[in-house]
Amino acid sequence: MTLTIIDSGVANLGSVQAALRRIGLPARVATDVDSVRRADALLLPGVGAFARAMAVLNEHGLVDSIRAAAADGVPVMGICLGMQLLAEESEEFGRHEGLGLIPGRVVRLESRQSGERVPNIGWCDVTPALDAILYREVEPGTAFYFVHSYVLECRTLSDVAASIRFGGREVTVAVQRGNIHGAQFHPEKSQDAGLSVLAAFSALARGRSVHA
Amino acid sequence: MLDRVREPVQQVAVRPRLIPVLLLKHGVIVRSQLFKVHQVIGNPMSTVERLSQWNADELVVLDISRGEGGHDLRRDDLHQQYVGDSAIDVLREIAKCCFMPLTFGGRIRSLADIEARLVAGADKVAINTAAFDDPALVEAAARRFGVQCIVGSIDALRHDDGRYQAFVDGGRRPTGHDPAAWARELAARGVGEIFLNSIDRDGSGAGYDNELIAHVADAVEIPVVACGGVGRYEHFPTAIEAGAAAAAAANIFHFFELSYSHAKHACLQAGLPMRPVGLGSRFLTREPAYDRVAEDARIARRQTAAAQGGFPAACAEAAPKRRTIRWCVSCVYPSISAAPMEFDDSGVCTGCQMAAVKAAITPAEWAHRRELLRDLIERYRCRDGSRHDVVIAVSGGKDSYFQAHVLKHEFGLNPLLVTYDGNNWTDVGWRNMVRMREAFGVDHVIVRPSVATLKALNRLAFIVMGDMNWHAHVGIMTAPMRVAAMHGIPLVFYGEHGYLDLCGQFSMDDFPEVTYRDRLEHFARGFEWTYFEGRENLRSAELSLWKYPSDQEMFDLDLRGIFLGNYVYWEANEHIKLVCDRYGFEISDTPFDRTYRTMSNLDDMHENGAHDYLKFIKFGYGRATDHACKDIRAGLMSRGQAIELINRYDPVKPNDLARWLDYVGMTEQEFDRIADTFRDPRVWWMERGMWLRQKL
Repeated sequence: MTLTIIDSGVANLGSVQAALRRIGLPARVATDVDSVRRADALLLPGVGAFARAMAVLNEHGLVDSIRAAAADGVPVMGICLGMQLLAEESEEFGRHEGLGLIPGRVVRLESRQSGERVPNIGWCDVTPALDAILYREVEPGTAFYFVHSYVLECRTLSDVAASIRFGGREVTVAVQRGNIHGAQFHPEKSQDAGLSVLAAFSALARGRSVHA
Repeated sequence: MLDRVREPVQQVAVRPRLIPVLLLKHGVIVRSQLFKVHQVIGNPMSTVERLSQWNADELVVLDISRGEGGHDLRRDDLHQQYVGDSAIDVLREIAKCCFMPLTFGGRIRSLADIEARLVAGADKVAINTAAFDDPALVEAAARRFGVQCIVGSIDALRHDDGRYQAFVDGGRRPTGHDPAAWARELAARGVGEIFLNSIDRDGSGAGYDNELIAHVADAVEIPVVACGGVGRYEHFPTAIEAGAAAAAAANIFHFFELSYSHAKHACLQAGLPMRPVGLGSRFLTREPAYDRVAEDARIARRQTAAAQGGFPAACAEAAPKRRTIRWCVSCVYPSISAAPMEFDDSGVCTGCQMAAVKAAITPAEWAHRRELLRDLIERYRCRDGSRHDVVIAVSGGKDSYFQAHVLKHEFGLNPLLVTYDGNNWTDVGWRNMVRMREAFGVDHVIVRPSVATLKALNRLAFIVMGDMNWHAHVGIMTAPMRVAAMHGIPLVFYGEHGYLDLCGQFSMDDFPEVTYRDRLEHFARGFEWTYFEGRENLRSAELSLWKYPSDQEMFDLDLRGIFLGNYVYWEANEHIKLVCDRYGFEISDTPFDRTYRTMSNLDDMHENGAHDYLKFIKFGYGRATDHACKDIRAGLMSRGQAIELINRYDPVKPNDLARWLDYVGMTEQEFDRIADTFRDPRVWWMERGMWLRQKL
């Protein structure tokens, strides 16, 4: 089983690769349609701007192949900007179309309370949903590391896998819809808590590749 | 979605952070004082691995090198090595074991510099001098990489009149700016965070300058990371209370075991909503897991090189340009050495600098240190007679007698003596060790691994790291800690901190203690017992006596390994008379082959012999140099006399080698050829089949 990391040109690939090495998951970086088509599992990391990342995916003709793999049941996980790319659209610097794998849109994070700042940078307590399969080993209230100004608002409540309290409301920070997963925080930078989420995704991908 | 959550959690927007700072100078971590004196702590990777195991919130690494390249980790006898010699190469290695946010700062002048650091694994970059010289860089960087990854670093000095000023260029160039005003300007230009360091508190241990922190934190909306001055765990919460979003420190994290966890504990006790103390990682074991295939290949390469005479130091490439060795102008210590060392601008080594500091400690200060020791002992001694008060690690030498004397008779403790028996005793050394039980009227545990296991470890360690005494170095740092943990005794006493004494690795006010990192990095050279598992039929069971207590055990017991030399005036030459007269300590009348001193290392005939000869083979100097440096610093010897002595003693091939070869079943020729593979090409070269070296 090999995980394919999609290089959107704006990702911290080194850190993600180091984390995957640590949990013992072989991974390769790819930007071509063929690799995505053959992948056992896909990881979509990213930092930076939504429009630029989508432009890179489009340039390489990857949008359709990612959608096809997702429809095929290949486990897909988006991290940070990569999770936002899973949405139908984003309002960051205009209106841009996303991959459309999670019904919802990316909107600006609103701070309403004192002590809250945007961008939201730092360790925030995450509350997983009861059925969030990547979070079975994560204690409720475990902190993960965030760096973001935008969030994915799901249209379907059951797609929400975890949330934080921000701006006086619950803000979605992880999604799960069938084989599609996303984390707004950086699991590769969240010490054991983050590595355990990646390990759970890896177990999921392995399970599927054994059965396939 | 509330019906789907497991349980409500405590409400904190963003948790305040506790951040260790590593100062990187030419590839090694240094301890800093007043931005001027830099003492070498060691390899950055072993420290970063510990911080990852402890679940640290974030890491800041500041490169304070001057000039290019030149790190000193190119030693063939260490496990931890890395490719390349630039700060970026080191960053790339750090990123491999860093699963927390990483800020990298130092010597950043352009957008290309920033990009190179982000690509190599940094999440943020800290900009200081360039932000002052070229403010447009901050704006351009924030636009290109995002405000979240640009940190404005400010070094502030408090003037005598109480006013503050920001400095650049490593604290040497004044900017004329008030740090608060400068922080405001940096924020306006687009930095996402301020890293605030106090120049006058650097290395002082006096605590944060909380007025400075409040002054700057009140001036800006962005988070302020406060650094500079922490000397005790209780100092950390004051920075957060003064308005910082994160409390940072450098030096203190190097001095004590589980320092980060204890510091976190102090912050939580103070009521700060930080992330919990983390001990142990599911994904990162403390004992390294070695790549067996790669290590087998490494051993095979060495054996092939030994058999075929392919010695790195004999290659044509080992030309004079590689010979960068220098010597301390005050003592005779070389720059390429087993002990981590730095030189000041006038060429004096940190060993001599710290020896001068130590010599200047007044009797009143030593009396004060005794009181500190008394307080420490009172905190941990047994009150109900259920256990021993302390463990003393003893080899049976003069320093062991002195320690037992101080703790038993001056402090009135009931100590448990613990000795590691590596099976290399001299006759007089053995008699001295065995005598301690009666001479002091104490219990004594002697940890004795099987001779078969010892022989295997001698052989393996010689081939792997050019040091047959790995078992002894690690055994001595392990057995007393293990016995203490087993018996629930929280204090273990060792004599002197060897590297503080020899190379000035720490300052006298640091009171460094025993740490797992130091044991693995310096005593074990990066080779944990796990390295030997499965080699020469050694199983985990045979290696049990080299297994260190777990982090959880140490944290729960608050187990501490104390160096008595930090608290009690220590002059080895003066201990002799006391221990002979009062306790019947026997002096050896047999001179050693490799040094002019006769009173050290009687517990292990190879320590001053074959083991030390290998140090000469590697680095071109040996125990006579160590002893001569100490005697020069103590005013007992001139530099000229020392040079004469070390040139006589350092090259001697010792007679105990015959015993060792017989013990492990190796020929002298095999020994010589394997030893030759370890010669450092910066020290040695070959001409007409003869080894030549740079020397004084």
